Amino acid sequence: MRFMERVLICLAAAGALCLTTTRTMADAPDAASSAYAHRLAVGVCGTCHGPTGNSQQPKFPRLAGQNAHYLAAQLQAFRAQTRGDPDALGYMWGMASQLDDATIEALADYYAQQKPAAIRSDHSAQIERGREIFEHGIAAEGVPACASCHGPDAHGLGDFPRLAGQHAQYVLKQLASFQSNMRNIAVMHGVAQHLRIAEMQSVAAYLEAQN
Amino acid sequence: MRGWVKFYLVRASVLAAALAHAPGAIAVPSFARQTGMACEACHTVYPELTHFGRVFKASGYVLDNLKQVRDINSKKEQLLELAQTPPLSIMLQISYTQLNKAVPDLANTNIPGEAQNGTAGFPQQLSLFYAGKIAPHFGAFVQITYANDSGTIGMDNTDLRFADTKILANDQSLIYGVSVNNNPTVQDLWNSTPAFGFPYASSNATVSPLAGTAIDGALAQQVAGLSAYAFWNESLYAEVGGYRSAKQGSTNQLTGAAGPLDGTSSNVIEGISPYWRVAYERNWGRHSLEVGMYGADFKLLPGGSPDAPMPLQGPYNRFRDVAEDLQYQFLGEEQLFTLEATRIHESMGLDASFAASAVANRSNDLTTSRLWGTYYLRRKLGGTVGYFATTGSVDPGLYPAAAPGSAGTITSANGSPDTRGWITELNYLPWLNTKLSLQYTKYTKFNGDGTNYDGVGRNASDNDTLYLLLWFSY
Repeated sequence: MRFMERVLICLAAAGALCLTTTRTMADAPDAASSAYAHRLAVGVCGTCHGPTGNSQQPKFPRLAGQNAHYLAAQLQAFRAQTRGDPDALGYMWGMASQLDDATIEALADYYAQQKPAAIRSDHSAQIERGREIFEHGIAAEGVPACASCHGPDAHGLGDFPRLAGQHAQYVLKQLASFQSNMRNIAVMHGVAQHLRIAEMQSVAAYLEAQN
Repeated sequence: MRGWVKFYLVRASVLAAALAHAPGAIAVPSFARQTGMACEACHTVYPELTHFGRVFKASGYVLDNLKQVRDINSKKEQLLELAQTPPLSIMLQISYTQLNKAVPDLANTNIPGEAQNGTAGFPQQLSLFYAGKIAPHFGAFVQITYANDSGTIGMDNTDLRFADTKILANDQSLIYGVSVNNNPTVQDLWNSTPAFGFPYASSNATVSPLAGTAIDGALAQQVAGLSAYAFWNESLYAEVGGYRSAKQGSTNQLTGAAGPLDGTSSNVIEGISPYWRVAYERNWGRHSLEVGMYGADFKLLPGGSPDAPMPLQGPYNRFRDVAEDLQYQFLGEEQLFTLEATRIHESMGLDASFAASAVANRSNDLTTSRLWGTYYLRRKLGGTVGYFATTGSVDPGLYPAAAPGSAGTITSANGSPDTRGWITELNYLPWLNTKLSLQYTKYTKFNGDGTNYDGVGRNASDNDTLYLLLWFSY
């Protein structure tokens, strides 16, 4: 059963990857859109996410260096009100409601080009456990390796988001939202439904400590 | 003559005390409608602002996520950008006030008697807001209030802003703008300053102490101020401005029009009174810390009233206020904690009142300190404990004793303004825009003493006040 679940999750992940990578990315944002996005990113988004996307507040995710496809998909999901975790409703549904496609692409491009702030490397038993789960999954619980989709260095792969350097508390909240299906992503629900709190905390601590 | 000057000076002090305790700070659902963001983006629990709320305010209330009605001319210049939904809100406060001991009934001056204790305010206050964007870079917070004490509708707190954000070369922001407002500190970004400080709502059916500093609400809605500000990197804030009298309901005796102000108006600002503010805010993790200073220098001509006009000339009374403030916020996922404090020191130069023999001292000092801490669990259940203290020079002219045979209560037997005590408040918010409050104010000293402070036998603790409030806005 566990084996079958893992196979299904991997198939679903592969399917999702195929679907999303076949989406044609718009041409690179024009100069006007880029300038507008820069102004928005620093003057509006930056209040929570930091002017270069290196948020200092754990409530708000770090966006610097994030995969542009992933960011654009999230902004579209906020705009369409299909991403349903609590902070998405409280903050981002409103913020994204009037963004047009060109601005979304330009914002995504802006953050993708920002350099993630260097993370001070850290080591602990919890982080080591997180590394194990990230790299190898938990076979006994049917949890696949996170690295298989998010890349061996957690920098993201294809449309799967970068997780390296992300605030641990933000990762934890997302895993909980995947588990409860408030953030309704079938692949991640499949992964998170078997994770225990301590395991989520370990993975989150590991990711926060990665550059 | 002496009596009138004294009356108006004391009235100013009483007004200051009363307004310092008046409901001021408001959460406005029209901002939520305009931005599409829930209250928690800008508020911990209304009316206290988060960092995002402060930036939203400094930026001129203009961030919007609504469909716009637009117009441009042939040069592609923008002529109009108007939200399809007007940013309107309504706020209601319904309250019940119980004093520890009823106050004397003035109808029974010669016979012992008490006024009814237990006052229902239905409503205590009803407000209509226009709060939000007017045009690009131009936004407003305008409050019109019906209050049950006056029984009339009038202008309440108002703050009009023109603001813009400049992105500096190193990706730091510079928010700059001007505010036109009618209450010193109503334009401030932190809740440690008077206009939007704790208590956020309080009874208007209780006994208030005599003394209050000028910047602590004494001039609210009676002035017009223009100030320019800059907020660098969302951390360093500076503002300078000036205030001039903008009386409501006053009429020039000669013209019958709203102005110019003449001797029938009291406490009229001489020239323009400067206002200043500096603050530094640092945010890290879930923490936010602000330290700052603010102040003003008010020169007030005593003036008179329609029944007893006094020329608006000659010496003035000067109130120089210098204040420090501090705010710390911890914003957890489930738990919120805030610590706020301010100390306002006022130097009074009472040349006008002294010349009229209305006060004992040409110079007086007055210092008000407040410190409060607030805790909330899941933004639903929480409370605040606050300490307040006012101390100052003894001046039997400024803080007068009860006249023989009078009811006292709002007098000081020893001429001291000293007042201190605690406010404890419990709050339950079934929804983010609805607050049920149970507030208790405990005085250990009132108008100079703990016992028989008024010389007519009333104790400070007699003014302890239980206040129940239902406060919602939509």
